[in-house]
Amino acid sequence: MRQIGKKSLVLISALMLVLLAACGGNSSQSSGEGDKGGTINAKIGVISYLTGPGAAYGEAITNGFKLAQKEINEKGKVNIELVIEDSAGKQEQALSASQKLMSDDEIVALLGPTLSTEMNVVGPEADLNGIPIMGTSTTAEGIPQIGEYVFRNSIPEALAIPVAMEKAVKKYDVKKVALIYGNDDVFTKSGFDTMKEEVEKMDLEVVTTQTFQKGQSDYNAQLTKIKGLNPDLILASALYNEGAVIMDQARKMGITVPFVGGNGFNSPEVINIAGKAADGLFVATPWFSEKEDPKVQEFIKKYETEYGKKPDQFAAQAYDALYIMAEGLKNAGEADRDALRDALAEIKDLEGILGSFSFDKDGDVEMDPIVLTIKDGKFQIFE
Amino acid sequence: MLLEQLINGITLGSIYAIIALGFTLVFGVLGIINMAHGEIFMFGAFMGIIVTSTLKWPLWAAFLVAIAVTAILGYMLERFALRPLRGKQGVSHLAPLISTIGVSILLENISHHLFGAGNHPFRNSFAEINFQIGSITVYLVQIIIFVISIILMMALSYWLLRTKAGKALRATAENLETASILGVNTKKIIILTVIIASAMGGIAGILVGMAFNSVNPQMGLSMGLKGLAIIILGGMGNVKGAMAGGLILGLSETFVVAYGDSGYRDAIAFIIIIIILLVRPQGIFGQKSAAEGR
Amino acid sequence: MLGEFINPYYLQIGSFILINIILAISIYVTLSSGQLSLGSAGFMGIGAYTSALLTIHFDLPILVGIIAGSLVAGICGIIVGLPSLRLSGVYLAIATLGFGEVMRVFFVNWESVTKGAVGLSGIPHIGRELLNFFRDAGFDPSSIGMRNNQFTYLLVLILLLLINIFIIWFFVRQNKSRVGRAFAAIKMDEKAAEAMGINITYYKVLSFTQGAILAGFAGALFAHVLAYISPADFAYHRAIEILIFAVFGGSEVILGAIFGATFMTIMPEALRFISEYRYMIYGLVLIFMMAFRPQGIIDENIMQWLKKKLPSKRGRSHGSRNQKHM
Repeated sequence: MRQIGKKSLVLISALMLVLLAACGGNSSQSSGEGDKGGTINAKIGVISYLTGPGAAYGEAITNGFKLAQKEINEKGKVNIELVIEDSAGKQEQALSASQKLMSDDEIVALLGPTLSTEMNVVGPEADLNGIPIMGTSTTAEGIPQIGEYVFRNSIPEALAIPVAMEKAVKKYDVKKVALIYGNDDVFTKSGFDTMKEEVEKMDLEVVTTQTFQKGQSDYNAQLTKIKGLNPDLILASALYNEGAVIMDQARKMGITVPFVGGNGFNSPEVINIAGKAADGLFVATPWFSEKEDPKVQEFIKKYETEYGKKPDQFAAQAYDALYIMAEGLKNAGEADRDALRDALAEIKDLEGILGSFSFDKDGDVEMDPIVLTIKDGKFQIFE
Repeated sequence: MLLEQLINGITLGSIYAIIALGFTLVFGVLGIINMAHGEIFMFGAFMGIIVTSTLKWPLWAAFLVAIAVTAILGYMLERFALRPLRGKQGVSHLAPLISTIGVSILLENISHHLFGAGNHPFRNSFAEINFQIGSITVYLVQIIIFVISIILMMALSYWLLRTKAGKALRATAENLETASILGVNTKKIIILTVIIASAMGGIAGILVGMAFNSVNPQMGLSMGLKGLAIIILGGMGNVKGAMAGGLILGLSETFVVAYGDSGYRDAIAFIIIIIILLVRPQGIFGQKSAAEGR
Repeated sequence: MLGEFINPYYLQIGSFILINIILAISIYVTLSSGQLSLGSAGFMGIGAYTSALLTIHFDLPILVGIIAGSLVAGICGIIVGLPSLRLSGVYLAIATLGFGEVMRVFFVNWESVTKGAVGLSGIPHIGRELLNFFRDAGFDPSSIGMRNNQFTYLLVLILLLLINIFIIWFFVRQNKSRVGRAFAAIKMDEKAAEAMGINITYYKVLSFTQGAILAGFAGALFAHVLAYISPADFAYHRAIEILIFAVFGGSEVILGAIFGATFMTIMPEALRFISEYRYMIYGLVLIFMMAFRPQGIIDENIMQWLKKKLPSKRGRSHGSRNQKHM
């Protein structure tokens, strides 16, 4: 009996020791601070969703950062070091990660976290500690309003969806719409709120509002109901993963009306998953991969050679975000949190791959989205 | 529209039923809730994707590969997560619950790594075959899913009631030690049970892939939870109960969406089982003794 | 200065550990009377939402919100606990898991009050409120060389630590009392306990309700430490996580629950450097743990060994030292 107890105690203490060692192990790495030959050295913390169900988004985002980092450092004016932490999509972990990053005095700014729910927790903390934080994929209402240190470069649904809706409604002379959205996700829920508001503004008739939940793979029941009510247009606030499957099942059922989606519905993956069924989707987005801008095409080419797949808007937004940070650092002239915040707030008409970018007074995006539609299995600009 | 919703409900219900069969078989013999069953099902679905979309092999090969892979996973589950717990002193009924949860976390994260987090389409010409009856589109897959679930249920019942292996299995379920004394190779029977249950999960995985054209690493969890609810609904360890429970759940979920509020769809399963547990704890088809034995 | 020693990251993790310990104890208490409840996440959600809504909409002090949250969770505990008496083992586990899921769906759908999936933000934060209090009292953290976030999280940590000490003390005492012995008797053999004249209904509902109150309490603390909650915080994963705390550490003794919560909270943090694999390792640890030590890391044997060993060890080491001197 005693033997067992002893062994377990040894085991416990060994485990604890390993954990403690691991805890402290990778916390401090030195980096040269100060201006050497005019270059500004800066460490930027990244909080991203790298394990768990939404890991695909986090992966695209960090890839975008890394690509931009490489280019920026090659140019030489600013030398950025990224410290990447995982949040697993959970608020507590995002908060822990942010504390870890913030307590490193060399880190001048934070990028991320991926989800708006996480930003709601991390944002106030960063603001309190006076470190600029910029979301690259947080599109929910009210994020930049958290505080003056909180920014974002991802275009909010409230800006994107109305543009797409207006164009689609005009083109198809829509009177009746059906809504479908994921009600247990912040992103899709806030997209839906925008849609509902816009529907009321445009005086359209809502035949039904359907919801779905994460992890669901059968949307037939909701779609059958929608089909029976014959809407002219379906407004779907869904992330591309679910949205593509919804379109596929809808087309199989014989629903032919167009879909309008939110920002999160915009991804080449939609075509990949739904194939022909994706035709007739409208989205408004700043990101268009076929844009004849050499910058955009170069980004796509580099991204593809580096990571073996096409970049989506999350990667693009992340890529631009780091350029915005670099610009801020350049203008600030030093790697200092407060100076960087002030410099960021001043940024106007910065040309990125998403187009011309400015922050408004809250630190929110000012940008004109373009409306895309899928036709013949390809995203095209909708005029 | 009613007819269409009925078809939707039966399709969904049949899939639930096949998943629940796997749960109920393991529970019936071992008295264990296999929390990893949903993830094994998800692996089956991914095997279907890999075989048909990536390797471009025919559909029957997908079934074979999925069955083989999930059977191996089932064996490993038994070998590494269940067997070490058996016959050990002081092992509470919590231990297998936790270790199968461990397996489910492991499998979900492995599949994230292997297949990525996104949805994968299931491209197969077979899944496209459909009939037009009036305004209703019926897909051959939907009929096949229903037929397969019935066949599986009947085969399982027959196997359990009429064959020697089935008798040995029931004897093991009744009392492990007595069965062992009577000359039943209980170790083999237990392995067989877990393997068969897992293989059925694999079959269900491919069917889901074909029916809904959507496979992702998270699908295991929601399907697994539904499967849990169904075996309570139909009575633990009861094959016909699992089938009936699956259909009831599939239909009620569909009709909640059709005539109620789709937001409460996920709660239906649990509202039903809470009511069932309070009114008739042994489940609709369960026998009284089964519930008291726990 | 003092500020250099205090890393808010560790304070943060420390606070989560302490909240998780309360959650683990909530499972331990229900388990100590032989009931396996997976409803902790649901009760936690009830506590969190109650307290958050009260403090946001009615400007009540956080303390009142937290007490109200625990009480509402406790009342729900009685409501759920009474009919659940008929169930045991796995049936109870699944029914309570179901209760948790129903609560989550309810939080998602009751949009007018809970704001649905968007969640409640702007919940008063314990630390920041305390900081304001101290500032009003004319105390500035920088005067002792601490930054704002260091100070707030230090306060939160100390507060939680005090709460934890009280809760642990309470349950250690309870274990030695009539109530604790009744729980243990029911866990051993319900029928025998009944025959001995123990009021099974009362004690089982009592332990279930205690668990619910604790979970609700932890939920309310969680809401005021994170300052933001959404229904996804109280889903299946949370219920499983809480169960793992107790079972991994050892569900027989309270120390096991405490250890389990501590270890399982530190592990994912410590494994950050291999972030992609950490949840795989988490799964593997569970499997191996159950295979080699299914009763959890700390069980009665270790406790007894500790009790016997610690005083005697002290005695012996003194003895040997004396011998050397001689």
